[in-house]
Amino acid sequence: MVKNNNPLTHVIQYIVLSILAIISMFPLIYIILASFRSNQELFTYALPFTIKTLIPQHWTLDNFIQIFVNMNFGRSILNTILVIAVLLPISLILSALGGFVFAFFNFTGKAFLFAICMISFMIPTDAIAVPLYNEISKMGLINTYWALILPDAASGLAMFLFTQFFKDIPKSLLEAARIDGASWLQVFRRIVLPLSVPVAITAGLMIFTNEWNNFFWPLLAARNENVRTIQVALAYFEDENQVFFSYIFAGSAISAIVPAIIFLSLQKYFVQGIASSGLKG
Amino acid sequence: MKTDQTSTYAKAAPYLMLAPALAIILIFKIYPILSVFVKSFIRDGQFSLKTYYILSQDATFWNSLLTTLKMNVVMIPLQVILSIILALLVNLQLKGISVYRTLLYLPVTMAISVASITWRMMANYNSGVFNSILSATGIGRQGLFTDVHQALWFIVIMATWKGCGYWMMFILAGLKGVDTSIYESAKLDGAGYFKTLFSITLPMIKNSLLFVIVANTSANMLLFAPMQLITDGGPQNSTNVLMYEIYKSAFRNGNQSRAGALTSILLIIVLTVVILQFKLLNRDKEEENG
Repeated sequence: MVKNNNPLTHVIQYIVLSILAIISMFPLIYIILASFRSNQELFTYALPFTIKTLIPQHWTLDNFIQIFVNMNFGRSILNTILVIAVLLPISLILSALGGFVFAFFNFTGKAFLFAICMISFMIPTDAIAVPLYNEISKMGLINTYWALILPDAASGLAMFLFTQFFKDIPKSLLEAARIDGASWLQVFRRIVLPLSVPVAITAGLMIFTNEWNNFFWPLLAARNENVRTIQVALAYFEDENQVFFSYIFAGSAISAIVPAIIFLSLQKYFVQGIASSGLKG
Repeated sequence: MKTDQTSTYAKAAPYLMLAPALAIILIFKIYPILSVFVKSFIRDGQFSLKTYYILSQDATFWNSLLTTLKMNVVMIPLQVILSIILALLVNLQLKGISVYRTLLYLPVTMAISVASITWRMMANYNSGVFNSILSATGIGRQGLFTDVHQALWFIVIMATWKGCGYWMMFILAGLKGVDTSIYESAKLDGAGYFKTLFSITLPMIKNSLLFVIVANTSANMLLFAPMQLITDGGPQNSTNVLMYEIYKSAFRNGNQSRAGALTSILLIIVLTVVILQFKLLNRDKEEENG
């Protein structure tokens, strides 16, 4: 808050931040290091606690080779990417359109419809998994990609972010275009969308992370090996014979590192996107 | 804007553009919620409260409700307060602060399933790194997820580690929007750090706080992946939260009506708490304005 230029205060602040960062990062770093060790080595150096407990003594890629060659882990990654590749653009466009409507139009039932969209993001799919499963099952979509894509094809959270963001765009900008004869869809495509890059990145990042990390719903609705996504595949690791801790660490490391890298490369936009979304005060 | 304002097209435009997203939400979110609610009152094709009556006599249900409340009464305030502290820290004007912000956020990007599976291995009594560290500090090895007194609270620790970065970001976004000149004038008025924090900063970011409190409540009340993947509701049902009881009813025991009634109860509790939070926090706001 208030700038404090006392060097001692700065040192204390850095120390506190560093301790928190270490706690925050420790499991992730441990998982990554553990994925390069043999299962036996994990047990051998567990006690007493030394640097050997953390750092691999004999680095090996064997865990990764095993999960990709013998456990079909690559297929589950491809499935996940496929689902996201279809879902992400649909969800972004539908949510942005919704946000556009809520930000610029006045119409009967607006408050009610907005409330419905907000409730939808407060209640995660997991909480309604039972009735949703029955519904998807009646549609004959269990064990298809659609079971994963359709329920998430519009995101209440993304819609909320877009709505808040669009409210800051001056209405006169849109009205000018309307007078020039542009349709609402043209206004949306030519004026609103180009302005919404930071919030689209934020929303996209959230949709991507949600779907990449989605576990419970896919476990119910798409457990067949042909459509199985990465988190489901990881959960199945344990059920199969001869699966070592080290294999699970390797799969977990891959699962954790992908969204981490994507977030790291886009983090600048992320804070900006949330900050510009009107949750300012 | 002028010419077609009253035309049918202009009136239909917002509905048409909203329709696809709304259809998805109605079909795949709202309809399941309503259907589970309605079905919980129907037995053999007739309206009946029998499912709820059976539940009221069910000790497992009451135990899981109590466990859910016990966990959340600790976890929600803990996470909200910690997230505020973290947000204040990463809002400091220090060199390299964005690196810290990112490091604190990274647990959020990890799947709850991966976090659960790896934390269970790391908490293993014989080979887990947490126990290696505890043993080295002299505290000695602990049961953690397998101890009836520790399991629920260790899940709280894990969920807090995993979740706080997310809520921190929303509070940080709020803090970024506060005009810094306010702090300067507060300082000139001789207001100390905590006075400024409680009487200026936090009220200024009320919208962010409200969002975080509400979203955090619903997320935590519905948390159950750690119970499913680590403790199986145990030991001795000590981590058997309502959401996990629903899962077991529906997918292990095939008791759809019980699962439906439990889901309805849980969603009503969440909704009630959230509405109360809205009322309380918004009332404060009106008082300030008036």
